[in-house]
Amino acid sequence: MPPIRTRLALTLTGFSALLAVALVAGPLIGSTHISLGRVFDRSIAFADNTDAQIFFVARLPRVLAAALVGASLAAAGVVFQALLRNPLATPDTLGVSSGAALGAMLAITFHVDFAVAGVASIPLASFAGSVGALGIVYALASARRRGLSTIVLLLAGVTMTAFFQALILFTQYLADFADTFRTVRWLMGTLDVGSFAPILAALPIVLVAFAMLATLPRSLDLISLGADAAAARGVNVLAAERLALAGASLATGAAVSLAGPVGFIGLVVPHLVRLVVGSDHRLVLPASALFGAAFLIACDAVARTVWSSGELPVGIVTALIGGPFFLWLLVRK
Amino acid sequence: MLRADRVSFGYRAAAPLVVDEVSLAIAPGELVGILGPNGSGKTTLLKMLGGTLTPSAGEIQFERRPLRDWSRRELARRIALVPQETHAPFDFTVLDIVLMGRFPHLGTFALEGPADLAIARQALASTGTSAFEARPFATLSGGEKQRVVIASALAQSPELLLLDEPTASLDLGHQLDVQLLLAALNRDRRVTMVLSTHDLNLAAALCRHLILLRDGRVIAQGPTEAVLTPETVRALYGVDADVHRHPIAGHLTVTPLARVR
Amino acid sequence: MKYVLAILLLTAAAMGRPQTPARPQRIVSLIPAVTEMIYAMGDGSRVAAVSNFDHFPADVDRLPRVGGLLDPSVERILAIKPDLVIVYATQKELIERLDRAGIPYFSYQHRALADIMTTIRAVGARIGSAARGDAVAAEMDRTLAGIRAKTANLPHPATLLVFERDPGSLRNVYASGGYGFLHDMLEIAGGRNVFAGMKQQAVQASTEMLLTSKPDVIVELRYGDSLKNADIARELRAWDALASIPAVRTHRVSVLTGDEFVVPGPRVVEATLKLARVIHPDVVR
Repeated sequence: MPPIRTRLALTLTGFSALLAVALVAGPLIGSTHISLGRVFDRSIAFADNTDAQIFFVARLPRVLAAALVGASLAAAGVVFQALLRNPLATPDTLGVSSGAALGAMLAITFHVDFAVAGVASIPLASFAGSVGALGIVYALASARRRGLSTIVLLLAGVTMTAFFQALILFTQYLADFADTFRTVRWLMGTLDVGSFAPILAALPIVLVAFAMLATLPRSLDLISLGADAAAARGVNVLAAERLALAGASLATGAAVSLAGPVGFIGLVVPHLVRLVVGSDHRLVLPASALFGAAFLIACDAVARTVWSSGELPVGIVTALIGGPFFLWLLVRK
Repeated sequence: MLRADRVSFGYRAAAPLVVDEVSLAIAPGELVGILGPNGSGKTTLLKMLGGTLTPSAGEIQFERRPLRDWSRRELARRIALVPQETHAPFDFTVLDIVLMGRFPHLGTFALEGPADLAIARQALASTGTSAFEARPFATLSGGEKQRVVIASALAQSPELLLLDEPTASLDLGHQLDVQLLLAALNRDRRVTMVLSTHDLNLAAALCRHLILLRDGRVIAQGPTEAVLTPETVRALYGVDADVHRHPIAGHLTVTPLARVR
Repeated sequence: MKYVLAILLLTAAAMGRPQTPARPQRIVSLIPAVTEMIYAMGDGSRVAAVSNFDHFPADVDRLPRVGGLLDPSVERILAIKPDLVIVYATQKELIERLDRAGIPYFSYQHRALADIMTTIRAVGARIGSAARGDAVAAEMDRTLAGIRAKTANLPHPATLLVFERDPGSLRNVYASGGYGFLHDMLEIAGGRNVFAGMKQQAVQASTEMLLTSKPDVIVELRYGDSLKNADIARELRAWDALASIPAVRTHRVSVLTGDEFVVPGPRVVEATLKLARVIHPDVVR
C-alpha cells in the first residue's frame, strides 16, 4: 500500500478530474440539441440566443446546483456515518433533512411569500427548519453533563425524524389540493433552479460548513473507534463532535433548501468511495465530496433525458439507482 | 511517575461515588494491577489516570505536573490507553489502526511519513502481528484484535501504558498470548504498565504490584506477595480461597473453595 | 289474493333500492363546479349544503359545509338528510357509505370542455330541471362557438398556459398539457398550446422546456387569494430571466386572476372570453 501522501494526491487528482468531466459534459447533455458554437457566439444578443439561454439559464445553473448539493450531501453522509459510528447513517438520520422538509412544507401550505436578499421564502423556511432540527437534537444530546452522547444523539435524531414526518403529513392534510400536490413534488427533489441566485445564496453556507469539516477527517477516524480511545490519543472529542454535527447539518440544510430532499447520495456515495480508496477519512471525505458532485450531475442528466414527456424529479433517479445498489452492497457482505 | 492523591469520582452530586478517595503512586518500569470485582470503579479510575476523565475531587500528577496542566496531545504522547474492546465500524486495515496511534505526534493536517510507518511496523512486530498488516481489522479473532490494539497503543511511543481488562473477552490461549506479550514489553522495552482486571490469576501471574479496589475504595495496595492473601480475597470477592505459589509457574495462584456471605 | 301478493312484491321492490326522487329538494353538492351548474339553472334554492371549497355564487356562503374532495364528512352529510348527493367519481368510500345508507347520489368526473355541457344536461335531468339544464348548456355552446368563430381565421399564436408555479421564481412551473378543459378553452380562445403534443392535463415544465417551447404569448392563471397589482408586477418580472422567449421579448405575458379558470362549470365561458381577449386583444372585446 503506497504511503498516505501518494494516495491522497492520487485520490484528489483522480476525483477532481472526474468532476471536471462532469461539469463540462453536464450542460451539453439535454433533450434539446444545442450547438456550442451558437452558445458562445457573441454576435448574437443574449436575449435572442436560445441556445445560449438554454446553456446558461437552464442547464448551467442545474449542473452547478447538482455539484453543490451532491458534494454537500455526500460529505455530510461521511461525517454522520463517522459521528454515529454507523455506515448506515445518512444526512436524514438525525432529523435535519426532515426539519428542512417541514420548513418548506409550512411555507408552501401557509403561502408564506416573501424574499430576503433575493432568496425566496421556501428555501429560507427550509433552511430555518434544518437549523431548528439541529438545535433540538443537539440540545437533547447535550443534556447530560458529560458532553455529546452518541446514543442519545441517534435516538433524538430518529425521534425527531419521526415527529417531523408526522408534522409533514399533518401539514399536507391541512393543505388544499394544489398545495398538497406542490409539497409532494417538492419532496421528490428538483435541481431546476433556473438562475444562479439560489446557488449563490447557498454557497457561503456550504463553504462555512466545509471549513468546519476540513480539520476533522483524522479525528473522525479515531472517533469512529470509540470516544474514549480517541480522547486517549489526544482528540478533543467534544469539540470534534460538535464541529462535525454543526458542519454536516449546515451542509445538509443548505442542500435540502436548494433542491429539496434528494435521497441516497449521503448513503451510497461514501460507500462507493470507500470501495476505491479505503476507509481513511482523510481520503474518504474529500473524495466523497468530489464524487458526490459528479454523481449528482450524472443523475440529473439522466433525469432530464430519460423521460420523453418532461423530466423526472432527480430524487427519483437517485433512489432508483441508489436503492438496488445498496441492496447489492448488503448482499455482498 | 504517576501519582493520585485522594481522587474521587461521582456522576451526580447526590449519587454514590464510583471512585472514593483513592491514592496511589506508580514508579517507572512497574507493572501494576488494579484488581477488583465488576463495578468496583476500576475502569473509571483508569480513565482518570489516563486523563480522559476529570476527577470530582483530588488531584492526579504525571511527572510531578497536575494532569490538567498537560494538553491532550502532550499527554497522549506519553500515556496510551488500551480499551477493553475495539470495534471498527469501517473497513480499516490493521496498519490503518496502528498508524492512528501516531496522531498525537502529528499536527492536524500532517500525514504520516516514513518514520511513522517504521514505528508502526515495529509495534506490529513486537506484538507478533506483522503478518496481518494488510488485513481488515474486523476479520481478526479476539486475541489478534487485542494484540493489534496494543500495537496501536505502542505506536504512540508511550512511557506509560494503561490497559482496561486486556484479557476479559479472550479464550485461554489468547489470554496467555497477551499475558506473555505484556510481560515481555515491560521487561524488554521498559514500558510502565497499569492494567485493570477482575481475573485474580492474571493479576497474580503478571503484576508485581497490586491495588485492590472494592466499591471505589482501596482496601489494600503493595507488592503482590504481600497484598494477595486469603483475607483480601475474601474481602474483595466474598470467597474463601487458597492462595499459594505454584511450583512450576513460579507465581501466586488463587483457587476458590467456598462462597462466604 | 293476487292483489295482496302484488302489493307485497311492490313494497319489497321499493324497499330494496334507494328511491330516486324526481325533484330532489335537499341536494348536497361536494363539487363546486356542479354547485354553480345548479345555480345557473335557477335551482339554487334546492341546494342544502356545499363543500368547503365552494365560493360562488355568494349565496353559498350561508350554507353549511360538509368537507372537501379528500375528506368529506359523512356524518355531516347524513345530518343534512339529503335526497341527492353530488360526488366525485374518486370519492369511493363516500359512495360506499351512501349506498349503505340508501341515499341517492350523482357521480361525475371532469375531463374535457365538452364534458361540462354534457354534465350540465345530465345534472339537469337528474334534478328534474331538464329543460333549464339543456337551455344553460345550449347557451354555453352558442357563446363558445361564437368565440371560436371570431378567432378561427386569425393566426393562432403559440401559447403557454401556466396555472401553477412557485411565487417569485420560475420553479415548479405547471402548464396545461394537450388534454383537459384548460387546453380546450385555450384552443377555442384562439391560441395554440405549446404543449399540445403532451397528452396529459398538467405538464411540469423545466426551464429548458420553457426556453425550447418558445411561446409567443404566456398567460398565467392565478386563483384563490387575489393578487395586488404590485405583486402582479413582481410576478411578471420573474419571466425576465428567460429573455429569449418570444413572449417575454414582446411583453406578451399576462396574469389572469379569478377562480372561474379552474372551476369547470358555467363560468368557463367568461374564462374563455378573458383568455381570448388576452390572446387576441384587438379582435375580441
